[in-house]
Amino acid sequence: MAKMKTKWIALCSSAIAAVYSAGLFITNEDFNNTLPDIPQQSALSIPYDVATPTDSTPTYNAQPTNKYKNGTFHGTGSNRRGSIQVTVIIKNDAISEVEIGNFAMHYSERDISGLPNEVLQSQSAKVQNVSGATYSTRAFEDAVQDALDQARNG
Amino acid sequence: MTLNRWAQTPKGFVSMLLITNLLVSCLWGSDWDGMIQTIVAVGSTVALDVLISFMKKKKHLKPDGALITGLLISLVLSVTTPWPIVVATSLLAIVSKHVLVVQKRPIFNPAVLGLGLSVMIFHSEQSWWGAFGDLPASSIPLLLIAGLYITGRINKFPQVLSFLGISFLCLLIASIFHIEAVYDAFRPPFINATLFFGFFMLTDLPTSPTKYSDQTVFGMLTAVIGVLDYVFFGGLVYLFLGLIFGNLFQAYRTWRRAGVRRDQKKSSMYPDRRGMTL
Repeated sequence: MAKMKTKWIALCSSAIAAVYSAGLFITNEDFNNTLPDIPQQSALSIPYDVATPTDSTPTYNAQPTNKYKNGTFHGTGSNRRGSIQVTVIIKNDAISEVEIGNFAMHYSERDISGLPNEVLQSQSAKVQNVSGATYSTRAFEDAVQDALDQARNG
Repeated sequence: MTLNRWAQTPKGFVSMLLITNLLVSCLWGSDWDGMIQTIVAVGSTVALDVLISFMKKKKHLKPDGALITGLLISLVLSVTTPWPIVVATSLLAIVSKHVLVVQKRPIFNPAVLGLGLSVMIFHSEQSWWGAFGDLPASSIPLLLIAGLYITGRINKFPQVLSFLGISFLCLLIASIFHIEAVYDAFRPPFINATLFFGFFMLTDLPTSPTKYSDQTVFGMLTAVIGVLDYVFFGGLVYLFLGLIFGNLFQAYRTWRRAGVRRDQKKSSMYPDRRGMTL
């Protein structure tokens, strides 16, 4: 069978590249809107507390010796596969509640449904890697750590 | 057949390129877990393919298709996937290749069906690490060069170009209507997945058409179904779902053409039959 002519391949490839570029350009705004939620924002010189200060409602009645402030803190963790937002409630220097808010990963939320309980038990953002859900586990850890960083005293 | 001669065949050439992808991903990412996963996946697919071929009493045991299936499964599944899931995915792929057939040819691309079922049954995680999904965007030109080269070698340009063109066009239309999640599809690692899928999975020789007009329809159908699934349902099986529909369409055409050939053969064997009944 005769092969497709090179000029047609070049022409079609150029058209596809043009459509792709248009898509990349048009979606740039949507993509940039997600950037403040990305933990790597520190690399862009946007500190975490600037990204989500309005969401957090800390109360400043804690003793200075406490590691964390009391209150409700929101954190975000993301990677190339999506993002996760969590809500962490701190009471008396302990993590009393962890809730997954917005799950925007390209995997199933069910895979990491047990992780909030694990955080409560360990009182730390570090959790066991969920086999087959590595990217979601990492994003969850980052989100909890982000919230804890905001809750930290001093 | 010597290794050199095998590397010149279409399947040999695809295998060599996939192994190159594997080595680039491991070296650039400084992560060799993928190598172990590949050994497990390829070992499983080749062993089962040889076993089934032996049971079917096939004269020639050529597991080169199973080698490609194993490589594809390994390069798509996340390197943290537990090995029993890798083995189970490989088994699903090879069993589908031998069981779901039309005119003695597999209906579905074995790797695609295996991976799709693996997501549904085992919730397996895909990372497309072999498509450089975990590497910087500067690795994409390498993928393009390898992909365009193999597409030319196996004469599948209409299929690949129609798939990529319609995919991007549908995604562009969706983005014009501000469907939020679409921005991901234009960026790594999703663009890596789309390119790798188009160049190495869509073009599977036994399950894709050869005629240019058929190739174009096949590529377009796969793209439309895939993008619709991506836009309305999300998740990571959209590419696989598109190709499963494309494969079904192709199997239906093969079955119909075989039926027409059978009828023609019958009428040539009994030319006076019609006259007799009249």
